[in-house]
Amino acid sequence: MDWFNSEEPQAGGKTTPLRVSEVSAIIEDLLDDERLQGIWVRGEITNYTHHSRGHRYFSLSEKGSGANAAVIKCVMWRSSADRLSFTPEDGMEVTVFASVRHYAPHGIYQLQVEEMLRAGLGEKYLLIEKWKKELAAEGCFAAGRKRPLPAFPAHVGVVTSETGAVIHDIRNVVSRRYPTGIIISPTAVQGDGVHVDIAKAIRRLSGLADVVIVARGGGSFEDLFPFNHPDVVRAIASCPVPVISAIGHEVDVTLADLAADIRAPTPSAAAELAVPDGAVLRQGLSGLKSQMSAGLNNRLLRAKQTAGDLRDRLRPQRFLRRISDRQQAGADLADRLERGILSRIQREKIALSGLTAALDATSPLKILAKGYSVVEKDGCVVRSAAIISKGNSLRIRFVDGRSLVTVEHVEYDGNL
Amino acid sequence: MTETFEQKIEQVKKIIEKIEDGETSLEESIRLYEQGAALIRQCETLLAEAEMKITTLSRDA
Repeated sequence: MDWFNSEEPQAGGKTTPLRVSEVSAIIEDLLDDERLQGIWVRGEITNYTHHSRGHRYFSLSEKGSGANAAVIKCVMWRSSADRLSFTPEDGMEVTVFASVRHYAPHGIYQLQVEEMLRAGLGEKYLLIEKWKKELAAEGCFAAGRKRPLPAFPAHVGVVTSETGAVIHDIRNVVSRRYPTGIIISPTAVQGDGVHVDIAKAIRRLSGLADVVIVARGGGSFEDLFPFNHPDVVRAIASCPVPVISAIGHEVDVTLADLAADIRAPTPSAAAELAVPDGAVLRQGLSGLKSQMSAGLNNRLLRAKQTAGDLRDRLRPQRFLRRISDRQQAGADLADRLERGILSRIQREKIALSGLTAALDATSPLKILAKGYSVVEKDGCVVRSAAIISKGNSLRIRFVDGRSLVTVEHVEYDGNL
Repeated sequence: MTETFEQKIEQVKKIIEKIEDGETSLEESIRLYEQGAALIRQCETLLAEAEMKITTLSRDA
């Protein structure tokens, strides 16, 4: 066997060398593990460099003796680095949100960092993540328990600081749109342990308000932190009436926002959600008014039409026409009757003249004209010589006259 | 009081439906119209007379 020139693959392919790109692909595939993607990692920054293009390169290290020490290379692209709220330095303890990526051209793996927080803050983020999971399990954020806001609240409860712009903005919006009752449930919104105060303030409104606004002006992540506390979240979730949240700026989402029935971008927007707009209501009323008038007008129009139809049906002309129709029919009948009778008479006349002719043909006068005569005795026609005898007076009728004769002789020939 | 605003609006909507419905008699329609007009007037009054009352709860409660 030629060991050096054979191109044939060996059994099992074990001795065929893999190409670098193939191995690289396998490594990449292995690193694509959910345990290494989208994770929070804590460590100390070392070898920090700020590249001229804006990208940051550094390592996260964990100090430890011997085998416990560990280092992972990191990269934070400019797009993520631009959002940094501090300047990282070597030796700084940080928590990063990152995914492990294999970079084939350099044959290295590294953490691609999307977010970086100073260690203390990172702890709070992690705490929020933990609370979020717990509270979600309790159903505090369930979409199914979000309630619709009342259309016309009699009392709007507001949980916020007594002083400051928030309550001012809310009052302004409510008085402009639809003046109604505002119940302020004051609370501290900043400082250690204020979550207790906030939760209490929310509960205090129970049974007093138809809708509750929980609001706070903009602030840092730490300023808004109390609004992530489970006490506050549970108070919102268990509030008997719908809750509108307006905490910090629109980009800051607290757990309180997630638990609220609806989230407003600003306190003013929360107030707009809470109360209807009087101008719109007035417009709606005038709309209803004209709709109702139109409805009644249509109804009247229909009634008029119905009345008109009935009147048309009751018009005397219709009866007169019917009468004249009948008259016409009567006249037609009379005509037919007359014509019928006349033609009948005509027919009878013709028949009669026929009969007269026939009668004429058989008239005895015609026979007499032929030369025959009729002999009568005592007014009776003599048909037989047997009934006459000598001396009888007989009457002879001719066609043109009569004669009285006396019988002188009878010859009877006997029965024929 | 504001709760009844909503109820009044609902009533007016029902009235309009009835007026528009061909089954309702003319007399009934006119009666309903008067009723609806009265309700709308009441709503307008409610809007005109609405006023903001601000109460602040005690923090000790």
